[in-house]
Amino acid sequence: MAALNLTNMTQEEVIQAVVDNGGAGITKCIQCNACASVCPVAKAGFPLFGRLLFRKLQTGHYEEIIEDASSWACQACNRCTEICPRDAKPFEIVFAFRRMQAAELAISTSAFTPLMNLHATGHAVYSEASRELREKVGLPPAPVTSIGDEKAQKEIQTLLDNGPMGELGIF
Amino acid sequence: MAKVGVYVCHCGSNIGGVVDVEDVRKHAETLADVTVSRENLFMCSDPGQEIIRQDIKNGLVDKVVVAACTPRTHEPIFRKVLEGEGLNKYLFEMANIRDQDSWVHAHDKDGATTKAKKIVDSAVAKAKNLMPLEDKYVDVTQAALVIGGGVAGIFSALELANMGNKVYLVEKEPSIGGVMAQLDKTFPTNDCSACILTPVMVDAGTHPNIELLTYSEIDSVEGYIGNFDVKIRKKQAYVDWKKCTGCGDCAEACPVRTPNDYNAGLDNRSAAYIHFPQAVPKKAVVDMGACINCGGRKIGSETRISKKTGKPILAPCERACPAGAIDRSKAVDPDGEILDIKVGTIVVATGLKVMEKENFKNLAPDSPNVLTALQLERLISATGPTGGKFLRPSDNEKPKTISFLSCIGSRDEKHHTYCSRVCCMYMIKQAKLLKEKYPELNIYMHFMDVRTPGKDFDEYYTGALDMGIKIIRGRVGGIDMLPGDRLKVMGYDADLAQNIEVDADLVVMATAIELQDDIKPFAQKLSLTLDGSGFFKELHPKLKPVETAVEGIFLAGCCQGPKDIPDTVAQAKGAAAAAAVPLAQGRVKIDPTISEIDREKCSGCGICEPLCPYSAITMVINNEGQPRALIEMTQCKGCGVCTTACPSAAIELHGYSEYQILAQIEALTF
Repeated sequence: MAALNLTNMTQEEVIQAVVDNGGAGITKCIQCNACASVCPVAKAGFPLFGRLLFRKLQTGHYEEIIEDASSWACQACNRCTEICPRDAKPFEIVFAFRRMQAAELAISTSAFTPLMNLHATGHAVYSEASRELREKVGLPPAPVTSIGDEKAQKEIQTLLDNGPMGELGIF
Repeated sequence: MAKVGVYVCHCGSNIGGVVDVEDVRKHAETLADVTVSRENLFMCSDPGQEIIRQDIKNGLVDKVVVAACTPRTHEPIFRKVLEGEGLNKYLFEMANIRDQDSWVHAHDKDGATTKAKKIVDSAVAKAKNLMPLEDKYVDVTQAALVIGGGVAGIFSALELANMGNKVYLVEKEPSIGGVMAQLDKTFPTNDCSACILTPVMVDAGTHPNIELLTYSEIDSVEGYIGNFDVKIRKKQAYVDWKKCTGCGDCAEACPVRTPNDYNAGLDNRSAAYIHFPQAVPKKAVVDMGACINCGGRKIGSETRISKKTGKPILAPCERACPAGAIDRSKAVDPDGEILDIKVGTIVVATGLKVMEKENFKNLAPDSPNVLTALQLERLISATGPTGGKFLRPSDNEKPKTISFLSCIGSRDEKHHTYCSRVCCMYMIKQAKLLKEKYPELNIYMHFMDVRTPGKDFDEYYTGALDMGIKIIRGRVGGIDMLPGDRLKVMGYDADLAQNIEVDADLVVMATAIELQDDIKPFAQKLSLTLDGSGFFKELHPKLKPVETAVEGIFLAGCCQGPKDIPDTVAQAKGAAAAAAVPLAQGRVKIDPTISEIDREKCSGCGICEPLCPYSAITMVINNEGQPRALIEMTQCKGCGVCTTACPSAAIELHGYSEYQILAQIEALTF
């Protein structure tokens, strides 16, 4: 692997993009690895866990990691944010990176169905099979959410269509 | 018959964890002349000492053996116990069963216990034969010498002077100030170095109790605590300092150009020069090593009178001096003037030097754009070669990308294994000062790790991150010179696990702190020793940090080890306090464990005289006109060299007499 020439990178632009997407703590990270020590993504063996993701972003690596699926394994458990000694809010940086990935349609294929479900019903995960079970235990077949509420569904669709998600053209 | 008390110490688990202390105690009980044998977890603690006190008070013991740690630290403690109970304090012997036994034989507990018994046998054998000795005292010369006029020396001198002591402050350069006077700003508060140092320099220069001897060096140091005879060589300045007003006209007139040490070699100065604008004393000197004797005015030659004008023909420096302070017809004296002074105590504060970049061939030292950190200090200082304008040396262009390289020559078996301690912080300081002034600068800092132990230090470092300064974990291995005076810095980012390169306009290296090349002969003059890292060795790394093995000589500042300004000032004041103690006491104790010559037995052969490392022995003619050796007790250190060399066995080293040592050997042998 050739050496990375730091002088040629647009580090400032990458860092600014992370900040603009909600990851203002990116400049604070001192690479101490505390976040990695508690991170389910790191524990599960995904290559681009928190600490390393932040270093890649700090040094302007962007093109080469944009397709990496590790960030989608984040469980939003927020342990990293609780442990971070620099208050860099690592979880927010991961989500900022996810937003940057989503903007490039670098989304895990497995995420498309839940996203479309969300647009259609207001639920990312919803199973028709539960209707029968619900009736058996004396509940109405559909939960009292947007599932049975066309007006609510319309509102959700309006929100999604007019936000950054709408620009991706997946709905 | 002697009544010897034996007290065996556990030293917590230091001894007790290896040696069977109870077994040793029981063994001691069986020895002849031993009246009591006891053990305690810490004999040096107050309850431990109390055991000995009670036994002496009850008349059970009249000689004491403590089997514990080292006499170097603990002998004085136990001697005081004897003294307190009215027993002569030299009737005490220490058996070192820690340093010489439990620490070195931790793997063999039975063997260690056997050895501990032997050591106790030997100590008891000596104790039985101990004789009372009396302390002697000599008066102290009420003056102190401080060697080195950097921030450490200045503060030591001021502290001693403010206590009312006469102080000689010796500095080899024409002005005091040292390395701190070369710095631009200081971490972690960024206050201007000159602004905080120069008022203190003026205080030292004008203090009624301080005699400033700049442009001077130590020629020799003889004597001992309380009475040191020091010869100081005042280098010839070729300028009459009584007349010199420090106007600097001679420097302007002088045509010579020679590297300027004050600006770390970044520019040139004249041969007639003033050290730096805020110099104390602000006096000119003519550097004869650089002077070219221009105008035909060879130094020491008589002034010729011009036939044309009838006026004397003068060199430019002479002509320029409005005070008439420069007179080149004065004879050359390369040795300078020798001043004899007498002082009671000495503080050594000779400072440091930073390694030159030429030592690091892999880091493009030939490029003018590779600087040591000290050179960068001068480059960004308002009193520096560019007046504080940040321009790279090769073409006076403003750099856009700078790389800082840490640990150059430090933490490196090829140079120095130690950490120079201040580099991380001063590099961060330099980076922050530059980034503050020029936000568009690209700054990369290559660290093995960032070390910031100190008040407000880590906050200072994380502040640099917030400013957008790039910190990279990984030592730089090489620099390639690129066209256009640029430099390719080849490094590694340990966090990315990837090789990296930076094309830099300027590279700053934190080169290691070390002592001056000529420090060894200087150390010999004072009988001081250097430690494994090449710095002056303190007497004890924790408890005697300013004392040395030579009584009456103390250490302050970086000559004892790398340290920053706050630590230097703290140590300087500590050294001053320690150096003031003998002056305040007015007299110093002479240890009675020194050699004495039986002049009846002495044959006058004179073998001992040249052997004495302290020049304490002289041959004196007795009443019968025969030469006999005589030991000056104030100079004898009790090393015993003369005692072993004397063919007539005429010399006794008190406290280590022949019969005492033979008794010890006998106890170890049988």
